[in-house]
Amino acid sequence: MRQRSLIAITAALTAGALTLTACGSRDDSKDKDDAGGGGTTVVIGVDAPLTGDLSALGLGIRNSVDLAVKQANKKKYVDGITFKMESADDQGQPSSGQTNATKFVANKDILGAVGPLNSSVGESMQKVFDDAKLVQVSPANTNPAMTQGPDWNGGKKTRPYKAYFRTATTDAIQGPFAAQYLYNKAKKKKVFVIDDKKTYGAGLAATFKDEFTKLGGKVAGTEHVNPDTKDFGAVATKIRNSDADVVYYGGEYPAAGPLSKQMKKAGAKIPLVGGDGIYSADYIKLSGKDGKGDYATSVGQPVEQLPSAKEFIANYKEAGYKEAYEAYGGYSYDSAWAIIEAVKKVVEDNDGKLPSDARAKIVDAMQDVSFDGVTGKVSFDEYGDATNKQLTVYQVKDTADPAKGWKPVESGTFTG
Amino acid sequence: MNAIGPVEPGEDTYDHESIPAPPVRRLSPRRARRLRTALTAATAAGIAAAGVTLYLTRPEPPPEPLPPWPSQSVSVAYAGEMSRPRAGERNLTFAVIFRQGSAPPTTVRRIAQPSAALSVTASPPTPFAVKTGKPRKLIITMHIRECGEVPRNAGLPFLEVTLRNARANEKHSYILGPEYANDLSGALTAACPRTRVS
Repeated sequence: MRQRSLIAITAALTAGALTLTACGSRDDSKDKDDAGGGGTTVVIGVDAPLTGDLSALGLGIRNSVDLAVKQANKKKYVDGITFKMESADDQGQPSSGQTNATKFVANKDILGAVGPLNSSVGESMQKVFDDAKLVQVSPANTNPAMTQGPDWNGGKKTRPYKAYFRTATTDAIQGPFAAQYLYNKAKKKKVFVIDDKKTYGAGLAATFKDEFTKLGGKVAGTEHVNPDTKDFGAVATKIRNSDADVVYYGGEYPAAGPLSKQMKKAGAKIPLVGGDGIYSADYIKLSGKDGKGDYATSVGQPVEQLPSAKEFIANYKEAGYKEAYEAYGGYSYDSAWAIIEAVKKVVEDNDGKLPSDARAKIVDAMQDVSFDGVTGKVSFDEYGDATNKQLTVYQVKDTADPAKGWKPVESGTFTG
Repeated sequence: MNAIGPVEPGEDTYDHESIPAPPVRRLSPRRARRLRTALTAATAAGIAAAGVTLYLTRPEPPPEPLPPWPSQSVSVAYAGEMSRPRAGERNLTFAVIFRQGSAPPTTVRRIAQPSAALSVTASPPTPFAVKTGKPRKLIITMHIRECGEVPRNAGLPFLEVTLRNARANEKHSYILGPEYANDLSGALTAACPRTRVS
């Protein structure tokens, strides 16, 4: 009996071990087929600053759209359709953006455009695209008037362009959120407000100042600067001579970085704060050690914290792009994917083929697009704004490695 | 030719009487049993060791996915019911609704707001759990600490909520929108008019 028991135990152990091993096995087969979905080619245009001071952000946008196109083809996401990307460089200039928009419109294969980075550039493109019923989705334009009209703040909100959408949160939230953080949390009570006179910078500075003063904060001074100059000696002296305990800059990092450095060298040892336009590793490169302690708000939550972004981050890395996806990578991927979803809807509603009026139908379909994207649920409200409105305050904690210098200090979700 | 060839073995070259084989040492039944047991045990141990080795070196199953960050699954919405305090009153109330998306339950550990002139309590009090499909309505009571400092017309007031789930403890701001901003402004202005009663 005893021997039989031992043999039985031995057999059971062996069988168990083999079973456990079998349970742990995985299918490591990979689908290496990344061919497109079929014979018809649909081109997605991308407009962003691919050269010049803002190229770090622009190249992150282009690469992320490229990744979305490749993923759609790899997955054969739209039966019968192969997507392609065509990029155009606006160098951050409205006139270049408008020229690029005209070129996109002229190319009948382009059925949607992603971009641009700058609100001022976006404004120059909106009408061109809208007239041609070519859908445009910006991952980065934050000026509220672009979707809600010039009277968005207090007046009647009216959507100026039906073909324009964006995945980024607007400055109507970004500026006040920064004001709340600085006044209530960082205990800053006197601000020196500077802007670069551009659509984005001036608009953002205005929304910040409005909320900061409503909370009880004081404005110690205001200045407008030319973002093309890098000498801010005069304004740095004014800041030093004011009793401001914080500087708010409405503009972008190519000017904000040197401004931070120069005002601190001049003796104004107070933090500079800006919006998503300064949230870049390049800001830290430009401000150097003096940038430590500065703040920026940016649209969305840190992509690394989003469970939905894991696959995007892994695929971006695997694709081997030279440039980082930067602040707008996730939003750019989602912008492109929204176009892909709209194309899918239009094709499926037309017996698997593109209709002759595909552009107009894609604009209509975009309004009802809804999917789980890199940045969370992607859909659009009646103005074309993203329904997912999150934002984060970051602070420069370390300047040794600019790519890792910004750290999140506060995140918020607009649920109104 | 004096070579000597091999001598052929003839009959009786060998003694046919076989050498007696050494007597077989029969094990005692007890020892035999011990030996069999030991051999079986050794075999079993060997197979078991192999099994354990196979088990330990098996391909790792994919780890259990972590739940999303708490703020990614919890939403907070203003639900109205803002009270209208009289001048000089120090409390005002309103309702909010917490909802949990499709994720494991999240614990709401603390609710606050950013202004030093105000403080907040909630009913039901924190901590409490929010679960998928079971929205929780809360009545928030805001206490006015310093009338002169209240944010009477903040454009974007928010609640700071501390959340916890299996993944993280997270503080997140929920900006409840323009209706909340308007209602809060009205209530704060009513409680703390510019010509202050104090």
